[in-house]
This record gives sequence, structure tokens and C-alpha cells, in this order.
Amino acid sequence: MIKIIPLQIMTDQYNQYFIITEDVKKAIAASGIRNGMVTVETKHTTTGITVNEALECLESDIDVFLKRLIPEDAPYSHCHMLPDYGSTGGNPTGHLKALLTGNHCHFPIIDGKMVAGGAQDIWFCEYDGPSQRTVNIIIEGSE
Amino acid sequence: MVIDIHVHPAFFEPINEDEKKEELRHDELNLHKNKTAPLQHFFNKMNCAKIDYAVLLPEDYSSQMNGEVLVSNEEIKKLVDMAPDRFIGFASVDPHDEKAAEKLEYAFSVLDLKGLKLHPSRQDFHPSDSFMDDIYDVCEKYDKPILFHAGLSFEPHTTSKNCRPLDFEDLAEKRKDLRICLAHFGWPWVRETAMLMLKYPNVYTDTGALYFDSAREFYTQMLTKDVPMTWIDRSLRHQVMFGTNDPRFEMIRMSEAIDGLGFRDSTIELIKGKNAIEFMRYDPSGRNS
Repeated sequence: MIKIIPLQIMTDQYNQYFIITEDVKKAIAASGIRNGMVTVETKHTTTGITVNEALECLESDIDVFLKRLIPEDAPYSHCHMLPDYGSTGGNPTGHLKALLTGNHCHFPIIDGKMVAGGAQDIWFCEYDGPSQRTVNIIIEGSE
Repeated sequence: MVIDIHVHPAFFEPINEDEKKEELRHDELNLHKNKTAPLQHFFNKMNCAKIDYAVLLPEDYSSQMNGEVLVSNEEIKKLVDMAPDRFIGFASVDPHDEKAAEKLEYAFSVLDLKGLKLHPSRQDFHPSDSFMDDIYDVCEKYDKPILFHAGLSFEPHTTSKNCRPLDFEDLAEKRKDLRICLAHFGWPWVRETAMLMLKYPNVYTDTGALYFDSAREFYTQMLTKDVPMTWIDRSLRHQVMFGTNDPRFEMIRMSEAIDGLGFRDSTIELIKGKNAIEFMRYDPSGRNS
């Protein structure tokens, strides 16, 4: 059995971080699946899904680190009119940050519970906001 | 106060309840893969760009579209009524509609719209065509400005015909009391736009241009090299208005890029708000200029 539960997130900052662990746990409980796997996957290419400890200081460090590594004012190729869109593509930093944090994570489900380490939380990372985002919570397994 | 003088709300959610209309707007504006936006999303963008008010522009090409209006004056009015603390509405009329002047009068007097948007190439007229006089007369009667598309257009089947800055000189000369904006800085003819602004104080422009590179790179080229920064900072500082042409271009990065070009702080204040108030003769904070 597989169930896909979309999680909608409206971001309101250019770069922003959300802990979505509880949303994922609620989706697992609602799915009725007792044993299997959960995959959390963003539908976008300028956002990230990563697993880390939910600490304010770490959020700051990750944000500062990514901005230092991928500065806004560097000369990128992805800054030009995109004919398929009819608009300017100018969000290379969002794509590159997404590259580093990836777009998904997995956890096992045993007896209806997500099995994770004590410091492991699931982060949704916005790198080109504000925007309306969708994260798919994909639950596979048996009832 | 920061005002974005050039926003197209064609994909705002409250005026996109009809899927066929939304699809038509994608095709007719050549804007694709963008979703409809709840107002809160647009306000979030405005907040990130530190923009207080957005001037919403409709599109009436009805004589080419079997009478259908792409984005109507009534839809603009609806959006302004939903958020009068964030939106200012302009009108549009199709110059080939024999009731255009009458509809414009209604838009100003009843809908309380603050200016007129026209697109000479898309709407197939020259700014000096005699049949435009009735429309210009209404604008002068109500002391309302006109924001003309100028320069390159990305709309389908729309050349830059009638949109070169020099196409507007006769109008600027003939009607000195009519305030006109040659949008997009008339790109690529930005020096023609500068020439007209130097001679005609009733000619304005906006910064809604981002045709190559990043916002920072393109603005550096257009606003400090193609038109030397000193020309704007010393001579044209009262006639350049901040505009983003959202959603075609990038509101947040354009707003930040303008701030970093090296203009005097007082010039930035003029470009990002005060000039729009003077152009519209309308101060949304309640103080009529």
C-alpha cells in the first residue's frame, strides 16, 4: 500500500526553515500504515528537505553557511529570460542551496511510529521565497 | 513609503475563478508555469521587497479578443477594495472601442482608479493618432496620468512598433499638462527616454526592465552605464519611478538592486515612492500632493 499526503506550506521569507517532523508523524498516524517506510519529498527545485537537530543556533549556522558558500552577488549563468516561462530566471542561489540539502529523506515505520534518532528532525528549507510550497509525505507499507 | 508603479495582477487568485480565463491570460501575456497567487502570498513578496503599495495595471485588448477584456477595470477595483492599504488601481481601455472615453470617465469617476495604462503596439495605435484625443482629454479633465508600455514587449504577436520613446515626443510636446510614463525605461532605447525626460518634465519612466542577467547586473548596466548614474542622480531624479513589472520580473531582487547602485539616499526616496505620488497626484497615505 502507498499513500501520498501533501503538506502545503506558505513561506513568507526569502530563505526560511521549518521543522515538519510533527506533520509527518500525524500523516503516518492518519495513513493507517503500521510497518513500512516514509519518504518526505519536496515538489520544488529551490527548496530542500534535510534531517538535522531542531536548534535555533543550528538554523542560524546552516543559513549563514549556505549564504557564505553561495553568495547572492556571484556571477551565475541562471540569470536570464526563460522563454518557456516568459519571465526572468534569477534564482540560481535557490537551486544551488537545494542541491546541497537534497530534496527528500526517508525513515522506517514500525508499529505505526516513525523510527528516528533523538536529535533527528525533518526540516523543510525555503531558498527562493516567499512562495507556496508542497511537500509530499509518501507512506509505503502494510496496515 | 515605497511604491511599485508597475504590477500586473492577472494571476491573483481572487480574479481567477475561471480556469479558461486563467489559461487565456497565460497565453495572451506570454507568462507560463506561474501559479495563481493568493493575496497573502503577494503581500509576503511585497514585504520582503519592502514595498508598501503596488499599482495594479489591467489589460483591455477587447477589440482583438471578440470583446473579452483580459483584466478588467472592475477586477482591479475588486482587488483594491480587498486591500486598499496595499493596492492602487489603474484603468485600461481599448482605444479602438468607440466607447473608450466614456468607459475611462467611468473608471476615474466611479471606480476611482488613479491612472490609465495603454500599450501602443499591442493595442495598435500610435500615441499621436488623432482618435486618441478623446482619451487624452479625459485624462487631463481628471488630472490622471498615463503609463504607456515603451520599448520591448514580451507579449505574443507584439512588436516594438509605436513603442519607441521618440514615438511619444509629439504627445509630450503637445500636451504638457498630461503626465506620461514611458515604462520599462523604454528599453533598449534608454537614452531616448533620458532625452525626453530632460526636455519634458511631464515625461516619466519606470524601472520595470530585467531583460538580461541578474537584477543587480542589469540595473548596473542600464541605470549607471547606458544611462550614467549621474544623469539620473543629478538631472532626472524626479522622473524615474520604481516599477518591477511583476510577475515577469523579480520584485525582491530588483528592489534590493536599486538600493545598491550608489544613488543618493534622497534620490532613492524619490525613485521608490515620491515620484509615483507626484506622477499620480495621489498619496495613498492620505496626503494629496
